[in-house]
Amino acid sequence: MKRYAMVIDLRRCVGCQTCTAACKSANATPPGVQWRRVLDLESGEFPDVRRSFVPVACMHCANPPCEEVCPTTATKKRADGLVTIDYDICIGCANCIMACPYDARSIVHEPRYAYGSQPIASEAARADDQRIGVATKCTFCKDRIDLAERTGQVPGRDHEVTPACVNSCISGAMHFGDVLDPESNVARLLADNESFRMHEELGTAPSVHYLLDQR
Amino acid sequence: MADNAGTKRVPSYCYNCVAGPDFMKVKVENGVATEIEPNFDAEQVHPARGRVCVKAYGLVQKTYNPNRVRTPMKRTNPKKGRHEDPGFVPISWDEALDLVADKLAAARAKGLIDESGLPRLAVSLGHGGTPSNYMGTFPAFLAAWGSVDYSFGSGQGVKCVHSEHLYGEFWHRAFTVAADTPHCRYNIAVGANVDVTGGPCAVIRHADARVRGYKRVQVEPHLSTTGACSAEWVPIRPKTDPAFLFALIHVLIREHGLTKLDVPFLRDRTASPYLVGPDGLYLRDPVSGKPLVWDEATAHAVPHDTPGAVPAVAGSFRVTEAVAVDADKERRVYRDVAGATAYEMLARHIEKYTPEWAEGVCDVKASTIRRIANEYLEAASIGATITIDGQVLPLRPVAVTLGKSVNNGWGAYECCWARTVLAALVGALENPGGLLGTTVRLNKTRDNRHLSVAPGEDGFMVQYFNPTSKEEWQTTPATRNLHQTLVPIVGNNGAWSQALGPTQLAWMFQGERPDDWSLPMPTLPDVWLVYRSNPSISFWDTRHLADIAAKFPFMACFAYTIDETNYMADVLLPEATDLESEQMIRVGGTKYMEQFWDYKGVALRQKAVEPQGEARDFTWIATQLAKRCGLLDKYVSAINKGVAGVAPLKGDGYDFSLAGEPSPERIWDAVCRVATLTLSEGREEHGIDWYREHGFYTVPISRLEWYLTPTLVRQGLRYELPYQERLLRAGRELGRRMHERNMNWWDKQLAEYQALPEWHDVPARWIRNLEKSGAKAADFPFWLLTTKSMQYHAGGNAAIAMMGEIAQNVRGHTGVIINAETAANLGIADGDRIEVRSHIGATYGRATLAQGVRPDTLVIIGQFDHWATPYAKDLGMPSLNTIAPMSLDLTDATGSGADIVCVAVRRVEAVAA
Repeated sequence: MKRYAMVIDLRRCVGCQTCTAACKSANATPPGVQWRRVLDLESGEFPDVRRSFVPVACMHCANPPCEEVCPTTATKKRADGLVTIDYDICIGCANCIMACPYDARSIVHEPRYAYGSQPIASEAARADDQRIGVATKCTFCKDRIDLAERTGQVPGRDHEVTPACVNSCISGAMHFGDVLDPESNVARLLADNESFRMHEELGTAPSVHYLLDQR
Repeated sequence: MADNAGTKRVPSYCYNCVAGPDFMKVKVENGVATEIEPNFDAEQVHPARGRVCVKAYGLVQKTYNPNRVRTPMKRTNPKKGRHEDPGFVPISWDEALDLVADKLAAARAKGLIDESGLPRLAVSLGHGGTPSNYMGTFPAFLAAWGSVDYSFGSGQGVKCVHSEHLYGEFWHRAFTVAADTPHCRYNIAVGANVDVTGGPCAVIRHADARVRGYKRVQVEPHLSTTGACSAEWVPIRPKTDPAFLFALIHVLIREHGLTKLDVPFLRDRTASPYLVGPDGLYLRDPVSGKPLVWDEATAHAVPHDTPGAVPAVAGSFRVTEAVAVDADKERRVYRDVAGATAYEMLARHIEKYTPEWAEGVCDVKASTIRRIANEYLEAASIGATITIDGQVLPLRPVAVTLGKSVNNGWGAYECCWARTVLAALVGALENPGGLLGTTVRLNKTRDNRHLSVAPGEDGFMVQYFNPTSKEEWQTTPATRNLHQTLVPIVGNNGAWSQALGPTQLAWMFQGERPDDWSLPMPTLPDVWLVYRSNPSISFWDTRHLADIAAKFPFMACFAYTIDETNYMADVLLPEATDLESEQMIRVGGTKYMEQFWDYKGVALRQKAVEPQGEARDFTWIATQLAKRCGLLDKYVSAINKGVAGVAPLKGDGYDFSLAGEPSPERIWDAVCRVATLTLSEGREEHGIDWYREHGFYTVPISRLEWYLTPTLVRQGLRYELPYQERLLRAGRELGRRMHERNMNWWDKQLAEYQALPEWHDVPARWIRNLEKSGAKAADFPFWLLTTKSMQYHAGGNAAIAMMGEIAQNVRGHTGVIINAETAANLGIADGDRIEVRSHIGATYGRATLAQGVRPDTLVIIGQFDHWATPYAKDLGMPSLNTIAPMSLDLTDATGSGADIVCVAVRRVEAVAA
């Protein structure tokens, strides 16, 4: 039994968007679609101001509102915690986009390219018609998690089976692993530090945790 | 996305900014680059654990950008200008190389130097030397050529941390200055935006430090990314930083006093004990000429290096007999003269700069300044030690770091001096935890700053100032930026001395010169070569600069896309870019920013994919140009000497010397072998195929290489602090030379040569400048500043679509950051299109309302306002560069300027013509 989670140390994040870029690169998302990004938030009034950086993406909720509203069961929750979308049966109704309190889902109805109407070579190499007209979002780099199941590698420890955003993070803010394994890095970080989950009051039980400080 | 059978990963590096190089891998699917990934093979040797920053992820789109120049091109419209279509048409490489080589040969036939004594060939390279890591063996071509003018800068002097480069290297061999972040506990960052510009090495180190519990206080007019990640933001009034720093010194010296400071460091490692006479010059021993100190053991004045002497750090003493040596070696003899120690002079000097005084200048509360000074002193933990590789060293975990426009332009001398003095007062200069230099560029050798340390005059490190004596002063400038004539401290010893001259003068003096100019008339170079450089965007008064660029008689550009500078070119040469070409460089050791490692080595950038179109590997281009210019032998000889990088191809026990017309493959194979042999001290030899597979080779180094103080201890040398007698004399001599030729146009700059810098109203210089032009200060009530962006900083990547998209997530990338209350008062709402106007022009963008910016300050990120670069020209982004003037009045004594200009702002419905 595994439950994958992401732990993000807000003390470390510098809002550089390297994870945003790495995700776009790894998942070949089209222009305007960001499965993850870092929010640049400000609070207070001059001169008592705080500016904070908060990485956001699909929270892979244990109680995902997106799943509830999906009329075709395209959105599902896996036993290991990943919330998935089956592109074959998604009808692109956008109910899930409306339901998600984290603004984590996107839908595009026609191909989009970085430069005009034609794909550049890197886009053409990875064009995927399946993604047109369906909801898409962060998959926790599902292919890598599935590869780990076959190889015995450990997501969050072995880079080949760790989400691209976590691999790319230059500040060491992002961690990934099996939160049910008390020896995993994510379990230890959550045990040692104060943390919160976004919009926890909604009862969504997100799998993305934010660290604040040491206990 | 999942791998398929045709997938491979190619190790390489990114060096798009000076904070690199960093490791990466290129994922290639069936011959197409699709992703950039970290190189985890380097996780243990690279401080950033094999990661690259966000910029590198744009390299895939950079490769396949359809707007690339894919074939050599020539201009068909002889008229040049912003409104003249160049009419570029494709030509063959043969024709392009012949066109360039013919112009070069014709220039060479007339002589390398023209009638004004200036090089006929000028070369402009982009950001911080990074182009050298992409231009293969082209440095060997330039070495083979001979005299080259690098005066026409693309940003150095105005966009780099210029004064820090010069003064940092002078005081502690610190071309770039950093906190020893792995050990630091308290960092006062005055505008230092290290979480944006420091690269992955700095980002992870500062993140580790935050989690560890260090405190960073960010002092800057707007809340930058780094400020956001700091414990405290101090919103200081723009360009008043010297006052803030002076007040910190005041608190340490006048409120805490010498006994709370690092007395042994001040006594033994600085010139604090040197006695200063009534004329402001050191009192010297009449026989040896050495500066005197007051020996507390014998109660006599003795030469500073007298064995057994215990020099007094503070106090004033009567000296029986002494001499002072003024400008032009004029000697004055003194008898029974009062001599105050340099520290005493500092203590008197700093008395008036109280926190209460600074509050009125900086708009920072005196109590805040005093608290920060107290926290700094406490965190310095004077007396603590740390053992590094068996050696016990002082641990002084405090540093004051400076950012761009604090450490360049007027006020920068004061800031650089003050923060280095702050380090010295607590013994944190070049000691663990403290303030470090990380590389040298104005001294040799560039790969080991310790080797640049040797005994010089007066117990200090040797310096190589440009001469100011009557006999040796350069009256016929050898470069168009006059670096040897005007800037003694930039020297002429290091690889970059010339390029660090007053580059805006090269541009300005092509137009107007001062009325009392009596130097040879500056000419335009016969041939101008440009690579990875777009000064028509990255300098100031950029519209005017483009007009100057249009006048150059012949210009050839290595071109990625059409841009605002190569729009004036005669020939465009498309070079194979980052993922398409091969080059070996050094990594690790200690170099720019926070790139000080526990390893040193080399890394290969290799051809991950075939070049697009007709783009060619730069080494091939350099070889062809050398051949066509008849310089092949000299070019190969330069490669053999190691000019292409890493090490000479012939040395003890090895000889990989090249001859004839070597292929790029052969050249880099030889460099690879030499690199491995020299690094491994003969134990290993790897050719290019090994590096293509493994990417890099490193060997461990001691952390002791991070710190310069032990080297000074070994050589019995002192830091040239706090008193600046050498600079004072150099300024006096330079003034005499200028005045002897009836030139007074550098007098404002000469006033900067002070032994102990005084506050002068730095912001007022900008106000006076606009009033001099006939404008009214009241019409331009805001300060416009700029700040860097990790997404765009130095990457030349404004044409990368993905970078444009993700940068929108970071505040300010849509236009102009303006205080929300200020905006409300002006009727400006978030997203409104606004005009920001200075006395020389206007720039336009969308308003971004924020609380984290002073009400009197506007901020524009990066360098945009493109009008020729495809994609970038449609971004509609404003730029400070468009409306910041180039002016002699705004140029400091090092030849440096700052990114600040007085502006007005208003909402507009449409862009004015």
